[in-house]
Amino acid sequence: MTTNTNLNKFDSKLVMAHMHVAFVSLFIGGLMGLLQTLVRAGTFTLPFGIGYYQILTVHGVILALVLTTFFIIGFQFSLMSKTVGMTDKQRDSAWFGFWIMLFGTVTTAVTILLGQANVLYTFYAPLKAFPTFYIGLALVVIGSWIGCFTNFRQLYVWKKKNKGEKSPLLAFMVVINMLLWFIATLGVAATVILQFIPWSLGMVDTINVLLSRTLFWYFGHPLVYFWLLPAYMAWYAIIPKIIGGKIFSDSLARLAFILFLMFSIPVGFHHQLTEPGIDPLWKFIQVVLTFMVIIPSLLTAFSMFATFEITGRKKGYTGLFGWLKGLPWKDVRFFAPMVGMIFFIPAGTGGIINASNQMNQVVHNTIWVTGHFHLTVGTTVILTFFGISYWLIPSLTGRKLTSKINTLGIIQTIVWTVGMTIMSGSMHIAGLLGAPRRSSYSTYGGTEQASEWISYQIAQAVGGSILFIGIILMVYIFIYMVWAAPKGVEEFPLAKVSENAEPTPMFLENWKLWIGITIALILFAYTIPVIDIIQHSPPGSPPFDIIIK
Amino acid sequence: MSNINPLQKENKQPASESEPELKGTLIAVFSIGAFIVVSWFIVFALFVAR
Ligand SMILES: [Cu+2]
Repeated sequence: MTTNTNLNKFDSKLVMAHMHVAFVSLFIGGLMGLLQTLVRAGTFTLPFGIGYYQILTVHGVILALVLTTFFIIGFQFSLMSKTVGMTDKQRDSAWFGFWIMLFGTVTTAVTILLGQANVLYTFYAPLKAFPTFYIGLALVVIGSWIGCFTNFRQLYVWKKKNKGEKSPLLAFMVVINMLLWFIATLGVAATVILQFIPWSLGMVDTINVLLSRTLFWYFGHPLVYFWLLPAYMAWYAIIPKIIGGKIFSDSLARLAFILFLMFSIPVGFHHQLTEPGIDPLWKFIQVVLTFMVIIPSLLTAFSMFATFEITGRKKGYTGLFGWLKGLPWKDVRFFAPMVGMIFFIPAGTGGIINASNQMNQVVHNTIWVTGHFHLTVGTTVILTFFGISYWLIPSLTGRKLTSKINTLGIIQTIVWTVGMTIMSGSMHIAGLLGAPRRSSYSTYGGTEQASEWISYQIAQAVGGSILFIGIILMVYIFIYMVWAAPKGVEEFPLAKVSENAEPTPMFLENWKLWIGITIALILFAYTIPVIDIIQHSPPGSPPFDIIIK
Repeated sequence: MSNINPLQKENKQPASESEPELKGTLIAVFSIGAFIVVSWFIVFALFVAR
């Protein structure tokens, strides 16, 4: 497992296939985002009869579901290939999963583009899309499960060959994330396959709306952690190498990942705090469980700062914060994810506010929420993914990250920071002033309150336009790194654990224990309320077709 | 644990000396905690006021 060789060419091809889908999605989704902010500013009307809710659905589905899933699964395959290896058979099954996901994506995308699925990425019932929208989504999930089981198999085979050894840190993290994904997607698969598909095909007349939303959010919150954990993989185990340091503690990193697995699933009710039909006691319990996630989050913050401080001090920088000068700010592989980390401070804080029952009443369904997740996934996660791309893509294509691209990457990061600060900042403020999320441009009959929002909506268009420049830059950088950069060997940076760190206790790899606790927590948090929802639901709803355009 | 074996006590000393200095880290993480608490109370005040 040397660092200074590229991945073998077969694994590289597999990972690059995922990356191509991810970057095409970035461009399409970003363009839709730009159009939305322009429409909402009241300055622009969509041509050719394209609907606002149609492009909003494209934006959400292609960025939140397609870009993320393809990037993450591809990146994770590269990590597994590097740390535990990949057999030909495993690679074949990975390709099989990829093609199923791609076929599902195209099916769903075509349905949306034909205007047959204006249901937004949460596809809340009773809004009904054409059945192929749901069938495509189900295929994306099923394809991703093949990825899950391929990763599980890879670690299993490695463990059998290396009896008694602890698994490589990154392989451990990938398996945690795929376990999280598999357990979480069972919920969305259940609602799509058992509720939405039969209902949209007309095989049943009505749908239990509350049950479908509950199953969606059982998946929807861990989805956020499925995005975030690959970023944490880079923070914990790759950035230390880039800055010339070591991993602060292998045990702490594993413990944080285990806690994320346990506490990011039994918490979906914090998205349904205003929902009638769920007993407040269970909402309270799930809010408490939500707050448990603060522990591994602050563990991560501590671990990152410690890595930075130790590395800076080793380089001879002293003083309380002098070590900050010892960090390679001019290296985009560090700079982009570091900016992402800094953004996670307001992003995480906003999340705690959202999940607090009383404050949720202040921000629920306002554009504050949109501002929030454009910080989490739209900045922290995506800037870390960009930061990964700067070394991953050239190392896969057998090329070098040039200093010109490094500089362009730093400019890209700054453009993103400026654009997102303006856009997300104005979304947060407008949300506190009551501006709704998701809705197209409206003056709301000239009401005074709505007139307070318009300047923030214009600011969102300004921020959105700057962000789109950032997307064009990133797509250019991607194209350059794939086809034009000079040939060479780009380092695949894997950090080593600090010699000061305590040895990792073996109980951290007691999979049965962690999966057992995870399932027990889920059963505890969901069994009674779900029985309640099924038994005491009002009559189900018939479908409503394309009522929003 | 009032009667700590003096030998044990001495054994612990060198380990703590080689511990890395993490003052900046401590303050940074506490500042994040403070930022969270302050932001939370600002929005809570908004909730109370409305
Ligand atoms: Cu959530």
